[in-house]
Amino acid sequence: MADVRLEGLKKAYGTIEILRNIDLTIYHGEFVVFVGPSGSGKSTLLRMIGGLEPISGGRLLIDNELVNDIDAADRNLGMVFQSYALYPHMTVRENLAFPLRMAKASKAEILTKIAKTSSLLQIDHLLDRKPRQLSGGQRQRVAIGRAIMREPKVFLFDEPLSNLDTELRVQMRVQIAKLHKQLGNTMIYVTHDQVEAMTMADKIVVLKDGNIEQVGSPHDLYHNPASRFVAGFIGSPKMNFLGGKVEEAHDHGLDVRLDAGPTISVPVQPDQMLVGKPVTVGIRPDDFSSSAPGQQEISIELGVDFVEHLGSVTYVYGNAGNETVVARAPQSGWPKGASKLILTAAPADCHVFMSNGKAVRRLHAPASWS
Amino acid sequence: MRSTRSTPASLFLNLLVVACTLILTFPLFWIVMMSLKQQAEVMTWPPRFIFTPTLENFRVLFDAAQAGATSYGTIKVDFLTPVTNSVLISLGAVLVSLIAGVPAGYVLARRDIPMKEDIAFFILGFRFAPALLVVIPLFSIFQTIGLYDTYFGMIWVYQVVTLPMIIWLSRSYIEDIPKDIEEAAAMDGAKPFRVVWHILLPLLKPGLIGASLLIFLLAWHNFALGLILSSTKAPVTVALLKLLNPGVQFYPVMAAGLVVTMIVPVALIILGQRHLERGLTFGAVK
Repeated sequence: MADVRLEGLKKAYGTIEILRNIDLTIYHGEFVVFVGPSGSGKSTLLRMIGGLEPISGGRLLIDNELVNDIDAADRNLGMVFQSYALYPHMTVRENLAFPLRMAKASKAEILTKIAKTSSLLQIDHLLDRKPRQLSGGQRQRVAIGRAIMREPKVFLFDEPLSNLDTELRVQMRVQIAKLHKQLGNTMIYVTHDQVEAMTMADKIVVLKDGNIEQVGSPHDLYHNPASRFVAGFIGSPKMNFLGGKVEEAHDHGLDVRLDAGPTISVPVQPDQMLVGKPVTVGIRPDDFSSSAPGQQEISIELGVDFVEHLGSVTYVYGNAGNETVVARAPQSGWPKGASKLILTAAPADCHVFMSNGKAVRRLHAPASWS
Repeated sequence: MRSTRSTPASLFLNLLVVACTLILTFPLFWIVMMSLKQQAEVMTWPPRFIFTPTLENFRVLFDAAQAGATSYGTIKVDFLTPVTNSVLISLGAVLVSLIAGVPAGYVLARRDIPMKEDIAFFILGFRFAPALLVVIPLFSIFQTIGLYDTYFGMIWVYQVVTLPMIIWLSRSYIEDIPKDIEEAAAMDGAKPFRVVWHILLPLLKPGLIGASLLIFLLAWHNFALGLILSSTKAPVTVALLKLLNPGVQFYPVMAAGLVVTMIVPVALIILGQRHLERGLTFGAVK
């Protein structure tokens, strides 16, 4: 059992605070992804867990043991670096053996483990090569292999796929997810790529400016973003944000008058305090359709700028009022060459964000499946 | 890669290389030739390129027992002692510099210490100061504390020459090694000492061999420190000067001394070159 608990964890360089009061529990066997834009502190947080970055405040517990002041070498964690960080003067075999040699394992044990790990990662044929003779994907597999040799309690991944090309990245993504299933260890994974986060994580931790913005399953984050930032960060293409003003609060939600035209009734937690306040309405590009406007739908007129065909889906980019809007074209397609379109969406699919960026709770969010 | 230059241009450049080579090797050639000539042949004009070579000059240089029995008059040259002195002092200086300088270079490369750049510049500053600036006050200090004319004192004072170089060179070599590699070793369970031993030193080896050769040469060629701070432990550079006996035409013996002086660094360079593997860190990251 290797739970990782962060209690009020802080990081500061002099007076500059990088991370503020991070509270988080990562349970044994979870695949947790730290995601956020660059400068959000996600890598620093991972390095603090790994012991590569001193902790300025708070407590870090691994397996219920306080490890704040324990050396990286003694934390028994495995880490895969963005740069792979293989030892260039050693062969793949020596690279794999290194963690066990440091742990003073017996020769026989080292040999068995190398055989096991290299067949698991399909690097058996590379054992006698030096890192410089390997391709990017092979280096990445060796780096992962080196990290699992000691069978650490927790694996740390620091943007491990960002140096690979797209195809390889997808392959390695699957391989890491498989590895997690096979080994069942706790994995903490840092990425700035929300697709990686969505596809791999049991739990996503969204960081922004040194704070945790939201923690939840990919499904939660997608359907119930706690803030405008999370809503914009998770999902591709980005959620559309339309300015508006709350006209009325009633039992079924809020009536919001959009700057782009219509007034819509959104089923979110009604709050009289919001009446007359400016809000932002968020609609995902995938929630638009172009069926004829009915009573339960909102419709927005879109001036088309350009159309992006991705094969299985088509996205239309354009303007509604002063706002830029992206919408997914329905299967049936849209009239070719049309410069104006009527977009419609169900109010239940809309999100409302207050002027401070916080989301107003939705009344009918899709139930979580995880 | 095929050259895209025109034939006359590449011919001109090749000639330039040949000219540079000639200019650089001529003095060397001249000295070697001189060391093999008789006293009488050395000063003839026009210079003679065809002559019967003799090893007499080398015999004078090393044959302490036979001193006085040469055509140069009564002299005693014991050239082996200064060569030994120079080897001991220079090797000692390199060793001490490596032991003290590599850790210092590591700190300058990796750690955030206050006034880091000022400290680094201050260390480099020793290379700007003329050695004599240091030597004159040191002369009386060395005599007072008994370091005058000792190997220990010489090796110590040679650090002025060798240490700043080693610190700066090892700093830049260490900066070239990605920090990730050290961190990966720490994550793999290696304590700092083992990170240095298993990871850092093997990666630094080619660079340090090159740097050691360089500072050995600096130490080997130093003159001012040995001239003032030693007598019986004087290095070979000082001994060469002493061969310039006033009133005696001593050029061929001095030339022989120069040839001997050159042999040690040349031998070291040839030995060291084999260890200078290039691009060892390639493939570690990215």
